Amino acid sequence: MLKAIIVDDEQHCVDRITKLLKKYNSLIQLDYTVNTVSKAKQYLEKEEPDIVFLDVQIYEETGFDLLRQLSKINFEIIFTTAYESYAVEAFKFSALDYLLKPIDEEDFDRAIEKIKNKTSLTELSKKMETLFHNLKEVNTSNTKKIALPTLEGLTLVYIHDIIRCQSDTSYVHLYLKRNKKITVAKTLKYFEGLLEAHGFFRTHHSHLINLSMVEKYVKGKGGYVLMQDGSSVEIAVRRKEQFLKQLSGI
Amino acid sequence: MKNHHNQTMIIKQKKATLFVVFFLFLCFLGFSQQSKLDSIISKLRVYEERDSVRARLLVNAAWNSIYENEQDAFVYVNEAVDIAKEIQWDWGLVVSLRQKGVNYYVQRDYLSAVDTWQEALKIAENKNVKDKLLIASIYNNLGNVHADFKQYAKALENYKQCLHISEQVGNKENNINALSNIGYVYVDLNKIEKGIVYFNKALLLAKDESNKRLIASIIKNLGDAYKLKEDYNKALSFYEESAKIAEDIKDKYVASSALNSISELHIKLGKYDEAQVYSEKALQLAKEINTVEWQADSWKLLSDVFEKKGKTKDALKAYKNYIQLKDSIQSEDKKVALTRKEMAFKLERQEAKAKAELEKEKLYANLILTAAIFVVLGSIIAYVLYKRKRDAIEYRKIAEFKTKVAETELKALRSQMNPHFIFNAMSSIGDYMIKNDLETANEYLIKFSKLIRSILENSEKKWISLEEDLELTKLYIEIESLRLKDKIFYTFLIDKSIDVENTMVPPLILQPFIENSIWHGIAKKEGKGTIKICAKKNEKHVVFSVDDDGVGRKKGLKQLPNHTAMGVNITKNRLAIINNQDGFNNSVKMIDKVQGVRIEVKIPLELRF
Repeated sequence: MLKAIIVDDEQHCVDRITKLLKKYNSLIQLDYTVNTVSKAKQYLEKEEPDIVFLDVQIYEETGFDLLRQLSKINFEIIFTTAYESYAVEAFKFSALDYLLKPIDEEDFDRAIEKIKNKTSLTELSKKMETLFHNLKEVNTSNTKKIALPTLEGLTLVYIHDIIRCQSDTSYVHLYLKRNKKITVAKTLKYFEGLLEAHGFFRTHHSHLINLSMVEKYVKGKGGYVLMQDGSSVEIAVRRKEQFLKQLSGI
Repeated sequence: MKNHHNQTMIIKQKKATLFVVFFLFLCFLGFSQQSKLDSIISKLRVYEERDSVRARLLVNAAWNSIYENEQDAFVYVNEAVDIAKEIQWDWGLVVSLRQKGVNYYVQRDYLSAVDTWQEALKIAENKNVKDKLLIASIYNNLGNVHADFKQYAKALENYKQCLHISEQVGNKENNINALSNIGYVYVDLNKIEKGIVYFNKALLLAKDESNKRLIASIIKNLGDAYKLKEDYNKALSFYEESAKIAEDIKDKYVASSALNSISELHIKLGKYDEAQVYSEKALQLAKEINTVEWQADSWKLLSDVFEKKGKTKDALKAYKNYIQLKDSIQSEDKKVALTRKEMAFKLERQEAKAKAELEKEKLYANLILTAAIFVVLGSIIAYVLYKRKRDAIEYRKIAEFKTKVAETELKALRSQMNPHFIFNAMSSIGDYMIKNDLETANEYLIKFSKLIRSILENSEKKWISLEEDLELTKLYIEIESLRLKDKIFYTFLIDKSIDVENTMVPPLILQPFIENSIWHGIAKKEGKGTIKICAKKNEKHVVFSVDDDGVGRKKGLKQLPNHTAMGVNITKNRLAIINNQDGFNNSVKMIDKVQGVRIEVKIPLELRF
């Protein structure tokens, strides 16, 4: 039996999660619901729950504030948020799970499914590290880190170390500084969505590049770019105009 | 001097001309022709001021010393030229140069003479020297040199200039000389009749002036002309008249020449005794004035006469004399011939040079013209290019502006879509709440909020991938079908040639049509309904179709609420803008079928990569 708590300042949200948890009552027991950060802290210092449903905005404080105040995090967290986009990005970068309010039943079920395969402590701490790092550097996108799930586990990478991403059927190869290469079982579209706002540009069907790593653009029908690591990346004809616009915008 | 009569006469005439010119000059200076060189030299010693007075003295000294001492003559005339230049005395400079030319002429440096006289004429023209007679005299001298070298065209040109000026200023003597000289050129050109005309004109004027010296010369010239015409009697009478007048005025030069000519004609007529008398007389006069040529001519005639008379010993003696004199002349002749060739060559070269100069000038003119044309053309081209570029920039700006306007409009339309869509959702939820329990209504609401979240995110974009759009559309249909309790069957038929990831479409472009089909086609239909969504593409377009088997438009339209119609209208406007931006008119076709409605939407094929 897993022990769960809900940290949320809005009663209807608490009610919603409570209702959704009903069908899992043989697996998960709702131990406690709390509506402030301080009360949640008090509870968490004494008890050891397995799952915490954590709202991002709790009155004047945030769920992140709560996590920072804890000496150790030894539980699964499912963030819940209405629309705080910065938080959503932070979750994505850290590979953490989150639910958007109002919470859809299907999404909820999926999240519970994941919890069944318990995350290792080291992985969790890595995720937390990434989250706090990114929240701290919230205004400087260059120093953000991204948690990449690889075969060996989570790898944390500074996004400013990524030179380019190249898709290869169902994988994406990330080429990093110092000749490092990471292969991830994600789509290029996933990385495009994640990195587009941080100076990355989809030059081609199978290429996403870090514009700040462009050494030189060589004219042509679409042309190509030479990257700082010496590799060259094709620019699709249809992307050329937009590419040049973006490149000169740096 | 010259051995030939005709030539000699011209020389004689020339001498006369030179004298005439000089005489005028002396009159101006107040000196007489007879002034002794010595007295001039002594005056030069006393008068050392470098002014016009000394320059005149120097020119005078040059003239008086030229036959005696050529070197001195050049020293004098060069100083005169220098002084005239120093004090910027244009008239004096022209006069000095004329004298320098005479110096060259006497020295038989004909080419330098021509150069110097031409220089003098140039200065006279440039500095606007008004002394017409001075200019006329230079033309005359130039004419003489050219006549000497049988450059008749040039000679005539110069003589005619001289004649023209002389007539203008009314100088009779120059006028007569010019006419006579022109006449002689024509005779030399074998245009004897024309020559005679000029001689007669000259003679008439000379008689008016009672200038016996000139009359004698001209009549002698007429005799030469008739001799050439082989009218010996007439020629003889002219020669006799000329000789008589010349003897009267003691012009031994003309007299001797005329007498030789009479002798020559008598030989031709077989009157050897008379011939001998005249040639002996001529020889006597020639000896008196010490002219070698005339003496040689006389000896030749005498030799002929003696030979005809059978006095072979006398003939041989005369011939020996002739040969002796002839040799001295011939060496002169050879010199002249050589000079003539040299001069002809130099003149030719000068002409070629002048021609080259002219062509060079022409070339320069052409070059300048060409350059000017190029500059003008260049400017025009530059302007055209500039204008074209400016127009292009302008055009681009306009196009950009239009695009911006269109995009803003599109954005406005999309943002209109949102409240429209939300409003429809609200109606839908309300409808649901009336018909179902609140619990299910809540589930429905949550699903709907999820959909709206996606719609809000995507509707901000101008284009999304077809893949995303189809997902969104599916989500929408699923929610509607939830509301209508599984009343709806739907199928998506996407042509395999379409790369859904790479093909871009305006977000939710089909949604209002699908909504229309559901709300006004299928919802009103009894039993289940089907919606079929197809996508096909060609080179430039993607064509979507939405087919339903609902109640059809006529029935449906009656109850069509405003907001639904608005959704369709907004979408139609969006399509119009998108298609117009890409330069073609597509549009939306609504086809009423037997059962239901078919909508066709055509949009430009937009690929991401």
